[in-house]
Amino acid sequence: MIEAQGVCLKYGDGTVALNDVDLQIDYGEMVYITGPSGSGKTSLLKLLMAVEYPTSGSLRVLGQCMKPNHEIDIQRLRRRIGPVFQEFKLIKGRSAMENVMLGMRFLDIHPNKIKEDAYHALVKVGLAHKLSASVENLSWGESQRVAIARAIARKPALILADEPTGNLDTDNALNILELLASLKDEQTSVVITTHATHLIDDRNLDKLIQVDGGRVCCERLG
Amino acid sequence: MKGWDNVKMKNFLNNIGYFVREAKTTIRLDLTSNIFSLFSTTLIFFILAMVISGWWMSNQVIEVIQGEAEINAYFDEQLEKKDIIELVESMNSIKGVEAARLVGEDEAYGRMAEILGKDAQVLAYFEDNPFHSFVEVKIHLDEMDSVLSHISAMEGVSYVRDNREVLERLHHIAGILELLGYVVVGAVGISTLVIISHIIRQGIYSNREQINTLRLLGAPEMFIAFPFVLEGLFLSAAGGSLAVVLAGFSIKYMYVQMAGPLPFIPLPSQEVLIVNMGILIIGLSACMGIIGSMMGLSSAKKN
Ligand SMILES: Nc1ncnc2c1ncn2[C@@H]1O[C@H](COP(=O)(O)OP(=O)(O)OP(=O)(O)O)[C@@H](O)[C@H]1O
Ligand SMILES: [Mg+2]
Repeated sequence: MIEAQGVCLKYGDGTVALNDVDLQIDYGEMVYITGPSGSGKTSLLKLLMAVEYPTSGSLRVLGQCMKPNHEIDIQRLRRRIGPVFQEFKLIKGRSAMENVMLGMRFLDIHPNKIKEDAYHALVKVGLAHKLSASVENLSWGESQRVAIARAIARKPALILADEPTGNLDTDNALNILELLASLKDEQTSVVITTHATHLIDDRNLDKLIQVDGGRVCCERLG
Repeated sequence: MKGWDNVKMKNFLNNIGYFVREAKTTIRLDLTSNIFSLFSTTLIFFILAMVISGWWMSNQVIEVIQGEAEINAYFDEQLEKKDIIELVESMNSIKGVEAARLVGEDEAYGRMAEILGKDAQVLAYFEDNPFHSFVEVKIHLDEMDSVLSHISAMEGVSYVRDNREVLERLHHIAGILELLGYVVVGAVGISTLVIISHIIRQGIYSNREQINTLRLLGAPEMFIAFPFVLEGLFLSAAGGSLAVVLAGFSIKYMYVQMAGPLPFIPLPSQEVLIVNMGILIIGLSACMGIIGSMMGLSSAKKN
């Protein structure tokens, strides 16, 4: 479902974030991307959800060729992705529930089902008691879990989670990783970036990709 | 619209509640600017409503007066009764006259009371009957000139009142009002569009983070834009409606003022005038709101 060949990403200021990356991720895989800070993990995810486009090389995600000027197709692709952003990107002034529902409103889901699924997603991340809390009043860890709930409630074909456990204690982190792992099936792949290599459970791992200085330096199969 | 299929339509309808809430939130977040825009559009549409009403009124008056192919001939007060009857008869024999008929003082009074309707109390202020008897001459419109010169030359006739002069003056006023109408319509159009598109741009700017997030989640542009179209529609239509209410009161007040000194002006019915003006202004303001927000959206997209 993801195929990268010789992908480079050079930002406007000249920073080369990714250099000659080859990558293959198949349907139903659980993939971890690790690497030191500034190594290019987020940049890689940005390419996968068309926030940035490869400066060279070819990249296909869910059958879509990632090139600029395909706006409508790109929006359609993004609707099949469940993104968890490193900085959450929750909508301010709305409740946790409204934030999760907002991620689903423009998908082809019946209104009643939207409410139900949003509720279940929030329960799964352990926020059943914070449904109507405004996201400004949530702790970092709670906000992070709302972001995860928003991603999984969409029932996406591809989950792209950027440091989803970055602000969580070990127990909560393990729960979240387990939850994300439980979502993978024949149709769904899960891609997670993390520094916390010690939390990775080898039983839930299909691929471990290590990035360093913009290069995929090591790929290990689980 | 490309790709506008059933699924999208259903999704759109399902989200109407959300769109309305979003529009309300955007207005609430920047309440001062929105209230300011509302009042500006109200003022603008009020001016438009008044000019259009004036235009309609003058047109209506012209139409009524034009339809009255009729002149009134006043005669010397000392004239004897039988001379008057003779006069009327000779008028009847003029070519181009359909019928000449004597209207007595009492009848003249009664007619005016009828025209005034419920405002007829003003007549009570006069001690004596202020109206004189006169000869009412119905004529063929195209022979107005020859009939006029004939009648004014007749002995005993002191004064002939025709409505040509009045008509000309009214035409002149209507012409000015029409021109003014076009100018005002243009000015209203431009200023409403500027105000609405500006406020929408501002709303988009203060919501840019949220809009960006929605884009990242794959929301269609339509989904992102619609609350802003609603905001523009709401602001403009609310301004238009307020303007109609204000204009309605002003027209009522004007009618009361005009009924006193100018009772003979055949004004159109107040209700019809206000209803028509209301429909026109509210419809126009709604269109302007939608166009204005579209302009705001597209100009925000370019940057
Ligand atoms: N928009 C940008 N413009 C210029 N340089 C950028 C931009 N975004 C990221 N970079 C640079 O690209 C490199 C890779 O950044 P990236 O965010 O992908 O790292 P990361 O692996 O996600 O790091 P972290 O673990 O700290 O989140 C860094 O050197 C960063 O400074
Ligand atoms: Mg990062």
